[in-house]
Amino acid sequence: MAVERTIRHIKALATGAKYMLGGHRLTLMYPDDVQEFPDGYRGMIEYDWNTCIKCGLCAMVCPADAMKMYVSKEESEEGKRPVRRPGINYTRCIFCGFCVDICPTNSLKFTKVHDVAFYTFEEQIFPPEKFREGVPKPQYDKKPRRVRAILDERRGIRYEPVE
Amino acid sequence: MSLEERELEVLIGPQHPASGHMRLVAKIDGDVVVELRPNIGYVHRSVEKLAEVKKYLQIIPLVERPSLADTTANNLTYVMAVEKLLGIEPPPRAQYLRTLLAEINRIHSHFYGMGIHGVMIGSSTAYMWCFGDREPLIELAQELTGARLTYSYIVPGGVRRDLPQGFEDKVEKVMRYLENRMPDYFDLYFNNPVTRARLEGVGVLSREDAIRLGVAGPNLRASGVPYDVRKVEPYAAYPELDFEVVTEEAGDAFARVMVRVREIQESIKIIRQVLKKIPDGPILNEKYMKMIPPNLRKQVEETGRIKFPGVFANLRVPAGEAIARVEGGRGEVIFHIVSDGKMSPYRMRMVTPSFRNVILFEHLTRGVRVADIPAIYGSLDYFPPEADR
Repeated sequence: MAVERTIRHIKALATGAKYMLGGHRLTLMYPDDVQEFPDGYRGMIEYDWNTCIKCGLCAMVCPADAMKMYVSKEESEEGKRPVRRPGINYTRCIFCGFCVDICPTNSLKFTKVHDVAFYTFEEQIFPPEKFREGVPKPQYDKKPRRVRAILDERRGIRYEPVE
Repeated sequence: MSLEERELEVLIGPQHPASGHMRLVAKIDGDVVVELRPNIGYVHRSVEKLAEVKKYLQIIPLVERPSLADTTANNLTYVMAVEKLLGIEPPPRAQYLRTLLAEINRIHSHFYGMGIHGVMIGSSTAYMWCFGDREPLIELAQELTGARLTYSYIVPGGVRRDLPQGFEDKVEKVMRYLENRMPDYFDLYFNNPVTRARLEGVGVLSREDAIRLGVAGPNLRASGVPYDVRKVEPYAAYPELDFEVVTEEAGDAFARVMVRVREIQESIKIIRQVLKKIPDGPILNEKYMKMIPPNLRKQVEETGRIKFPGVFANLRVPAGEAIARVEGGRGEVIFHIVSDGKMSPYRMRMVTPSFRNVILFEHLTRGVRVADIPAIYGSLDYFPPEADR
């Protein structure tokens, strides 16, 4: 028993040493490296002002009350009747993507942006006029290296730079 | 404290170094635990009550939230119960995709449990390894569903997305990686004499007690009871797949870890079969497919990403009751939905595996050493938010 235990201790130490010298690292060195996400990643949402038919399905399906129909001022004054358009509140959004999937005209689209910082609470609320301007750009201290995750049978994940 | 009063009450938590917020009230005599009572409810989120005011589709993200690592099980069970009420069946391809995601989720849920257990008994290497090896699986799930953990992938009538291009190769690579890595896990952690000394013979749950207390999932199977909902009441694509129910006889903390390890190996087998057998065809029920406008239907066929029919926004479910159960990573998940024909359920009951396993804290810790508390806690893969709901 004692011999077997010693062997097992040695095996454990040897395995540790193997990985210490082998350089097996899975960590993504964010924010020096920033990952490029696969297509269909559910990030922040883009709004197409012109194709929207103002049906309100996105606001109806939203599970977190993040998507809401706002009265669009200019249009309402022009048409002399209230016109409602969707706006999004990122303090509430849970990125389930139901609004994008239910939109009958593809006016809402996923982007791959998700790492945006805001200074105030109010900045995170995007009424329709702000929503149409697209998603904010993530700010980095210095230009990061864009990397893509490559699944690998020996190392699990490798991060390879994208040109 | 007088000399006669030998028992000392120690409060562990609610903020403690283990996972989740829960207070353990321990009565100890010297180094021996006389009684340990879990004080649950710190992370209660009122899921059941909230479900009564939310619409059917909006409940999908809600039921996923309580169990962070095992979202697919809750998502699948809830949708299966709703489908029973609606009287619709998902097409075969959707059944296979559900199974695929459920198994990917089972593996990374087991890694999560084992990692937390590792750090509780002081092996931070095991913690780092398990959490690192979750990452390739999460990456796979992210490519399939678009999110890392809260997939919201399964909807009434089918699933939201088809397999992406070249997904099979990626899955195969990850499966081979896990197989390559398993021997190293054994050398470094499971066969490590330190781990064995901490876990073997600790917190033994006998077969009779496991059945009597209504324990669920790997904790039940570690006591030698071959009960698995996937076999007992097959759902999704499981009837067509070949796999075994993993059991261990010892019933101690180490057996519970071993069940998880061997279940990971079984899941690898299932995932390979799913990808080999997956039939072609639609991924959403015909009834809903017809409701999608024709131009969008074309787009769905091209991109493999479902567009919801407008009826999903205000899904009405016929009056009645339905129960569905699923074997999740941590054990059996049960949903009971009572509908009165309105847009929200009249009542939704959610029974999670952690809720059924919490009784073991009191049962297994009588007479153990204080240092064994984390070893037992971790081996149960108990997740406070899931139990509190």
